[in-house]
Amino acid sequence: MTAAEAQSASASTGPVDPELIRIRDLVYQVAGIFLPDNKLRLLLERCQRRMKEAKAQTLYQYHECLTTHPNRQAELVALLNEITIGETCFFRNQPQLDALQQVVLPKIIAAKAKQAFPRLRIWSAGCSTGEEPYTLKILMLEQAQHCLKGWGVEILATDLNENSLEHAKAGLYSSYSTRNLTPYYREKYFTAVEDRLQLPAAVRSGVSFRRLNLSDDSRMIFMKNLDLIFCCNVLVYFDLASKQKVIRHFYNDLLPHGYLFLGRSESLYGVSEDFRLVHLPRATAYVKSEHSEARKQEP
Amino acid sequence: MSSPSGKKNLLQKVEGLEHIPTIPAVLAPLLRYLERPLEDLDVQKVMDMIAQDKCLAAQCLQMANSPLFGRWQNIDSLRGAILGLGFQRVSDIVMSCGVLNMTPRDTGIDPVVFWEHSLGCALVARHFAWKISYPDPGKAYLAGLLHDLGIIVNLWMLPKEFRRAYEFARGEGIPLCEAEQAKLGFTHCDSGRLLADHWQLGSDFRDVVSLHHCQPESHEHGGLIALVELSDLLCRMSGLGHGYVEYQEVNLLEQKAFAVLSKDFPGLKDFDWARLTFELDSYMDEVHTLVHTIYRT
Repeated sequence: MTAAEAQSASASTGPVDPELIRIRDLVYQVAGIFLPDNKLRLLLERCQRRMKEAKAQTLYQYHECLTTHPNRQAELVALLNEITIGETCFFRNQPQLDALQQVVLPKIIAAKAKQAFPRLRIWSAGCSTGEEPYTLKILMLEQAQHCLKGWGVEILATDLNENSLEHAKAGLYSSYSTRNLTPYYREKYFTAVEDRLQLPAAVRSGVSFRRLNLSDDSRMIFMKNLDLIFCCNVLVYFDLASKQKVIRHFYNDLLPHGYLFLGRSESLYGVSEDFRLVHLPRATAYVKSEHSEARKQEP
Repeated sequence: MSSPSGKKNLLQKVEGLEHIPTIPAVLAPLLRYLERPLEDLDVQKVMDMIAQDKCLAAQCLQMANSPLFGRWQNIDSLRGAILGLGFQRVSDIVMSCGVLNMTPRDTGIDPVVFWEHSLGCALVARHFAWKISYPDPGKAYLAGLLHDLGIIVNLWMLPKEFRRAYEFARGEGIPLCEAEQAKLGFTHCDSGRLLADHWQLGSDFRDVVSLHHCQPESHEHGGLIALVELSDLLCRMSGLGHGYVEYQEVNLLEQKAFAVLSKDFPGLKDFDWARLTFELDSYMDEVHTLVHTIYRT
C-alpha cells in the first residue's frame, strides 16, 4: 500500500495497514510511547512527512528505514520528533493535572503532615521552554491559601538545551504555547505584551532553571528528596540502557511517597521494575515499587 | 445509612421487579438459536428474527457500522452485518442493543452514562480476554455488558432513592457501590442478582452480576468475575465510568481480582497494563459517538 493509498484508506476508516501497526509497535517497543487506534491517523501523517525525506515509497519501505537501514537510529529520532512536535504548552495534560490536585497532592500532604516546616519539592525533568514547570507553579499558587497553606514549594526545572532554558527564564510565550489557558488563568497570571503573554516575576520566582543532562550520573545524584517528578516525552529519545539508568536515578531521588509522571501514553513497561503503575482518574503515574532492585541495594 | 428495616423495605420493593421491562421478546430465542453449531446457522433465519423488532434492527445496523465492531465498509442491511461481522459479533450487537434499551430515560440521571459504561466494560473485557488468551472472549463481552444490571433495577424500582445515592457518590467522588451501601443499605450487585435470577441467566453471569465488587478468594466462576471486575475498574478510572470522577488511586496488581485471575493465567504477572489503558483511550470517542447515535434511534 502506498502512502497515498494508506491515507485514502485511513480517511474512509478502512482496514488499517498492518505496516502502520508494525511501526506503531516499534515506536512503543523502542521509545515506550503508545499511539492508540484513534491516533493512527496522526501516526500515518507523521510517517508520511518522514517518508518524503527518507525517500520511502511505502509504509513497508519506511518500516525498513526504521529497522534495517544504517541511519535507522537517526530516522527513529526524526519520527519521534514528528510525533511529539507541538506537545509543549501550558496545561498540556489536563487529566494528569486534575489527578495531581484531586488525588496525589492530598496523599503527599498527608504523608508530610507532621513535619514542622513542610516543603514540597517538584522536578520538571526535560522542561524545554518552561511551560510545564510554570503550569505546576500556577497550580501550587492556587493551592497556597488552601491545602498548601504554610507550605514551602520548590520547583526545579532542568533541560539539556540552553536556548530553551533562556526562553523559559524570560517567561514570554506565544499564543500557541498558551492555547490551553482558561480566561481565569490568563487574566490572573499573565500580562499581554504585544501578541505574547508575559509571566510576571512573582510567578517566575520559585522556579529554578538549570542545565542538566539526565545521563550525567555525577549531576543526577544531587537531585534528592523529591515529592514529584515530571518527565514527559523525554525518555522516548533514550535507548533502553540509558532509560534504565535515568529511572534508577529517579527512584533514588524520590521520597518513599513520591510520584513519577510521564507523558500521555508513555510507559515504563519492559524498562524498569523500580516503579509500579498506578491508575488515577483519567491518568496514570508511577510509584516506587516494593520489589525494586534499587530498594534491595539500599543500605 | 439506611436502617435495617428501611433496607428490608427497599429490598422488598426491588424484589417485586414489577416495573422492570422484560428483555425484548426477540432476544431469548435469537440467542438460543445462535448457540447452535456454526454449520447449523442460517443467515436468513437470523435476519428474520432480528427484523421482527424494527427498532432493534435499526439500532443493530448503527452499531454494526461502528469501528468498535470491526467495520471495514459500510453495512446497510442485516444480511450485510451478518455476512461481514459473523454470527458472534451480531449476537453481541443484538444483546447490547436489547440491554441498553432497558435503561429508563426519565429518572433525572442521564442514562447515557450507564450505557457507555456497560458497553465500554463489555469491549474492554473482550479485548482483555483476548490479550490474556481467556478461552471465551464472547462470554467476557456479555458478562461485561450485563455486570451492572442492578443499576437498571435500581433506576426502575427506586429512582428517587437511587438518585440520592448517585448524587452522594458523585459529590464525594467515591465508587457507586459504596454510596449505595451507605444510602440504600445494599448495592446494585444485590439488586442485579434478583433480576439475573428472574431472567434465569446462567450461573456464571449471575455470579458476575452479584460478585463483581466483592471477588471471593475461590469461586467456580472466579476467572470471569475477576476479568469483569478489572475491566470495570479500568473503565471507571479511564473516564468510561458512571458519569463522574472517582477520586482514588488504584494499583491493579493489589486487587484481589488480579490475584484470582493470575492463578489461571500466570502470564498476567508480566501483563502490560499501561498499553491496555492506552488502548482503552481509543474506545472512548467511539463509545460516546455510538451510544449517542443509538440513543437517538
